[in-house]
Amino acid sequence: MIPLVAVVRLRNEDSRTFRLWIPLFLVWLLLLPLGVLLSPFIFIACLVCQVNPIRGVAVMWQILNALADTNVEVEHRTAGFSFHIV
Amino acid sequence: MNEHRRQILEMLSQGKINADEAERLIAAIEEPAAAGAPDAGSAASAKPRPKYLRVQVDSEDDGGHDCPTKVNVRVPMQLLRAGVKLAGLMPAQALHRANEAMQEHGVPFDLSQIKPENLEELVEHLNDLTVDVDQKDANSKVKVRVFCE
Repeated sequence: MIPLVAVVRLRNEDSRTFRLWIPLFLVWLLLLPLGVLLSPFIFIACLVCQVNPIRGVAVMWQILNALADTNVEVEHRTAGFSFHIV
Repeated sequence: MNEHRRQILEMLSQGKINADEAERLIAAIEEPAAAGAPDAGSAASAKPRPKYLRVQVDSEDDGGHDCPTKVNVRVPMQLLRAGVKLAGLMPAQALHRANEAMQEHGVPFDLSQIKPENLEELVEHLNDLTVDVDQKDANSKVKVRVFCE
């Protein structure tokens, strides 16, 4: 299943934490028509680069699906950052 | 195991042993392998498949005066698999350029030798990967761990 939400957490020197929930499902919905519009160009680019377009799309879809549960945290005394894809 | 077999065949070709003795010796070295194979297979299947590749970095700069930096990255193994598949889509021209660039930097590695059928095996072998790096000097102390869980 493709990731639906990303959580970004930022902490500043005063230990104030800002948490930002990014609704990825809205991003996908916005990108979907764009992808459909760009599909002929993507197809041509794949042919020029000698890449099977169907395989390319399949791999990109797999990457999108595999993004869920990715977690990156950086903590320092003065600041902190974390990024989690749900 | 192949080395033992080769030694036996060499002894046979040199006439030190006859064909019957060679056959018995080969059978003798094959028996323990056949007996041990199921155990090894069950041990591998009993081992849970790791789900994540973890990278942890603990760094203390300024002589460790209460200023540590911690980095914790957790990447799903599925993402690695998909990423490796994406690398498999690289066109031949790009592979050629990448090979040239790596050879210029002293890395004699041929990316075109990585076949799609080997990619899954490559990722599977990451399961046993554990890298620990400890670096200590006057001003900093860095500890890096890369492992699968």
